[in-house]
Amino acid sequence: MDVLITVVLVIVVALIFDFTNGFHDTANAMATSVATGALKPRTAVIISAVLNLAGAFLSTEVAQTVSGGIIKEGDGGVQITPTLIFAGLIGAVLWNLTTWYFGLPSSSTHALFGGLIGAAIIGVGFGAVDWAVVMSKIVIPALVSPFVAGLVALLATVVAYRITRMARSNGSESGFRHGQTISASLVSFAHGTNDAQKTMGVITLTLIAGGYQQSGTGPQFWVILACGFAIALGTYLGGWRIMRTVGKRITDVQTPQGFAAETSSAATILISSHLGFALSTTQVTSGAVVGAGLGRRLASVHWGIVGRIGLAWIVTLPAAALVGGLSAWLAVTSTLGLIIVAVAALVVGGGLVLLARRNPVNRHNVNDEQDEQSEDRTPVASGAGRES
Amino acid sequence: MIDWGAFLLVALAALIAASVVVSSYSFGLRLLALGGRAPVVGPAEFTDAITIISPAEAKAIAKRAKKAAKKNPLTDAQKRAALVGAYACFTISALAVLYGIYLIVPYFHR
Repeated sequence: MDVLITVVLVIVVALIFDFTNGFHDTANAMATSVATGALKPRTAVIISAVLNLAGAFLSTEVAQTVSGGIIKEGDGGVQITPTLIFAGLIGAVLWNLTTWYFGLPSSSTHALFGGLIGAAIIGVGFGAVDWAVVMSKIVIPALVSPFVAGLVALLATVVAYRITRMARSNGSESGFRHGQTISASLVSFAHGTNDAQKTMGVITLTLIAGGYQQSGTGPQFWVILACGFAIALGTYLGGWRIMRTVGKRITDVQTPQGFAAETSSAATILISSHLGFALSTTQVTSGAVVGAGLGRRLASVHWGIVGRIGLAWIVTLPAAALVGGLSAWLAVTSTLGLIIVAVAALVVGGGLVLLARRNPVNRHNVNDEQDEQSEDRTPVASGAGRES
Repeated sequence: MIDWGAFLLVALAALIAASVVVSSYSFGLRLLALGGRAPVVGPAEFTDAITIISPAEAKAIAKRAKKAAKKNPLTDAQKRAALVGAYACFTISALAVLYGIYLIVPYFHR
């Protein structure tokens, strides 16, 4: 009975995580398109949602381990129980909601890994985590990818402006809009093929661990369906708060810049995942937007905002790990502890959603900037502190 | 342990791919304008790349495009060459997009 409760809870929280993943990452592909007016906000999220769903169905290769080798799972390694996965997911979801509340683009994947690392440390000990893999798979790519994408976008922006004579060449504005729509769609599609898979993997491995599915089999159809729809629904509802940050507040994106940024992101993401190490979509697109801002003469990049985003990236892993660890500490004690964690997470998550309601950002005001001042004064560090 | 070569490879490949796509697309736009077929979008507040415009708007846009074409100093043959060049550029970009889709869908690799 206990196993069943845990498995059900994991599936529910995994789907919630998948939802926040889509919700969080709409901004990656669509923020610049919405900001430049290449797509109406609603059209943008519909395209993104459909492509995420399509991507989820087209790519269902599930990794052999939940964490991709970060935690020493499997034969001869440690036993990652469904309870620990549950705790890790709680950490990831709460961190995603916190960064969403502050409108900061942060990697959902890092939040997931952070939560799992925290849960594994509490449940098994420091030895459970392969720190070399953490370094090579998370820390270094996180440091490198924004610079790579930024550099590519910088060059692409300069090229786009040069060739079209500072975009004054006849028809270049609307031409770039069309181009941007296509490259942004490609980013969305790539996101769907990558991110929905992670949740599918988590659920499948939980089902296997709980004895409800045979080891070595792929995800069941209902799992693919549920994950695809969860991420698509999240994408459709859209993280407008994050979109405003990426599209308007880092730098005021113009159509040639938007085209250059999205094309660079698409190229970087596609090439890196083809070579076997997928870079974080969030970090690539944020870096590309900064690069596009630097590439246009007279454009200013708001380094304060960039700094806050960078800070959020640094904090993501430890913060999610802390929440995941705390959840694991309580959840492993008994079924009651597990339920207490679930209820507490619901209260904190619901509280963040209610707080966000007081100052809503939606498709009608996503491109406004007037209330920027009041939001700017909220220090991000206090948010992180409150959460953990 | 840390594969710096892979990062360098990604950076270079992305740089080349993005430059090729962006410059071919931009050249395409430039040549399209030279060929007298510049895409002109009405100056609506929130112009959408895939909005369907009304007949009246389409007429106004066609008129503007005609006016712009009149100012064009090129001969008809030159314009035709520019258009061919423009479509060639767009084809390169389109092929790049198709290749991108090919890369991310695992089904194609089996």
